[in-house]
Amino acid sequence: MTVSLTLDHITAHYGSTQVLEDLSLAIKAGELVSLLGSSGCGKTTTLRLVAGFLEPTSGTIRLGERDLTRLAAHTRDIGLVFQNYALFPHLSVRDNVAFGLKQRGLGAAERTARANAMLERVGLSSFADRMPAALSGGQKQRVALARALVIEPPLLMFDEPLSNLDAKLRVDMRVEIRRLQRANGTTSLYVTHDQEEAFSISDRVAIMNAGKIMQLDRPEVLYQRPANAFVARFVGFENLIAMSVTAREGEMVTAVTQSGATLQLSQTVFGAIPDRFVLAARPEGLAVAREGEGIPVTLGIRTYLGRAYQYQCATAEGNYLGNGPLTDLMEPGAAAVLIPVPEQCCILPSDA
Amino acid sequence: MIKRLSPWILAGPASLLVLVFLILPVGSTLIATFTDAKGWAAPYATFFNSGFRRTVLYRTIEISLITTVISVILGFIAAYVVAQMPGRLKSIMIIAAVFPLLTGVVVRSFAWLILLGKNGILNSALLSMGIISEPISMLYTEGAVIAAMVYLFVPLMILTLAGVLEGIPKDVVEAATSLGAAPFAVFRQVILPLAMPGLIVGAVLVFTGSFTSYATPQLLGGERQMMMGTLLYQRAMVTFDWTGASTVAAIMVVVTIAIVMLMTRLARRLNPMAG
Repeated sequence: MTVSLTLDHITAHYGSTQVLEDLSLAIKAGELVSLLGSSGCGKTTTLRLVAGFLEPTSGTIRLGERDLTRLAAHTRDIGLVFQNYALFPHLSVRDNVAFGLKQRGLGAAERTARANAMLERVGLSSFADRMPAALSGGQKQRVALARALVIEPPLLMFDEPLSNLDAKLRVDMRVEIRRLQRANGTTSLYVTHDQEEAFSISDRVAIMNAGKIMQLDRPEVLYQRPANAFVARFVGFENLIAMSVTAREGEMVTAVTQSGATLQLSQTVFGAIPDRFVLAARPEGLAVAREGEGIPVTLGIRTYLGRAYQYQCATAEGNYLGNGPLTDLMEPGAAAVLIPVPEQCCILPSDA
Repeated sequence: MIKRLSPWILAGPASLLVLVFLILPVGSTLIATFTDAKGWAAPYATFFNSGFRRTVLYRTIEISLITTVISVILGFIAAYVVAQMPGRLKSIMIIAAVFPLLTGVVVRSFAWLILLGKNGILNSALLSMGIISEPISMLYTEGAVIAAMVYLFVPLMILTLAGVLEGIPKDVVEAATSLGAAPFAVFRQVILPLAMPGLIVGAVLVFTGSFTSYATPQLLGGERQMMMGTLLYQRAMVTFDWTGASTVAAIMVVVTIAIVMLMTRLARRLNPMAG
């Protein structure tokens, strides 16, 4: 049975501080959605609200047809995987996995059988009689995963589950998590601050900031077409250039930067361009050249990236980062131009 | 050669200290009880043949066990509440709990004399409220001794348990909750087993403390509620029966060890990691 999770106009406070502001989120049945953001953005608070460890000030949380909002945490039937594994140190691996079954009143024989079967699935059969202290980090998180899955919850939630593992193991584990989640078709909420992790594992990602969801979409869309300046900066569009349109001629638009540099932009590439907008570009989206039609800059520090040189570029309105070709080495202090690479840039609505 | 001997030489001074100040005195105390002129175990026979001394032994065990159980329960509740508190308040509460330890045992036992006496605070209060019509004698009863000893030992219990309870990770409790454990099940299946090491340490401290106590039973129990400590003192300092005193001491050591082992075994059954 797969069900959807719906958060409807959730507001939450810690004391008098508001941590979530009118947050709405719908996760479809069987879907894995990540909440991505830096610490303090409200992603963990959201998870704790759904788990029942916190109560929202207002709004409703619904799992399928069931209203969870005021339900006691232990009656919510949600599988949780924690950052610090949170295994019971006084119970063997098997008893850890069987804990949830015991709470559901299953007999000892059936508990053991189901715990063993689950341990088999995560490849830890031979560790069933060990104590958690005798396991490595990756094994502990597998046990935690087994413990959450064995109760066959309609919803799985992960709270930074891979943060304590080393890089190689992290990649293995996220594939493992995805595999088990897919196999069961369990609706999942995944909290992380790691962009690569969120993008690689999720059907959709919600980028959060200051208690609000800034954008919720497929990773590909977030990465290529951010909807606002915050998301753009978050996914690596380090250059945000404020511009205003001075002339329109068919598909072509002429726009100027704040310091007066003129650019020609095509609406066939960027879509409709409003009168005031922000041109967002990653460093590789701004080509540094000695001359041409672009934003005139003075070059600053140069760094070698292997595939290109990256330059700090000073203008009257601020500093930008652009990439220059390996074949043409330019010195700090030299005058150059930044030419936007249309496919690597996007247009954002102006904040003002 | 020096290299092979150096561990022995280095361990020498400390070993000598233990030998002279612990093993020799305790050893000679024990030997005295087995080398009596009337037979090798005669002092023990004398002890157990005396109805009075047997009563004192049983009373001491009883009072100490009751004190331990009450201290464990009260200490656990207090420590649990303290462990949930935010940082600043927590330190204040711990200091408040430990504060009585800064005054002497005698002073604190005297406090109970004032509380429980015929004209004491408790009697006056009950009289003025009309709950009783004449003062009840509360001093020199088992209850008085237990009350005072619980008061004496609960801070120790709180101190040992607060640390242990604080050390139980919050997410372990949350994990249990998310897996469907109701609050009491969380307590019974997670918190209690994980607190077991602290419970044993605390219980052992309280039990040995009350089993060997002298001042409190003396002041609040008097002759009627004599405990082993007082008996030992009387044997040695009043009747100068040194063998008798040694026998009392030996029995106290054996009982303490036996009860401590029992507690540890009980605890291991609840949490295989403990003890």
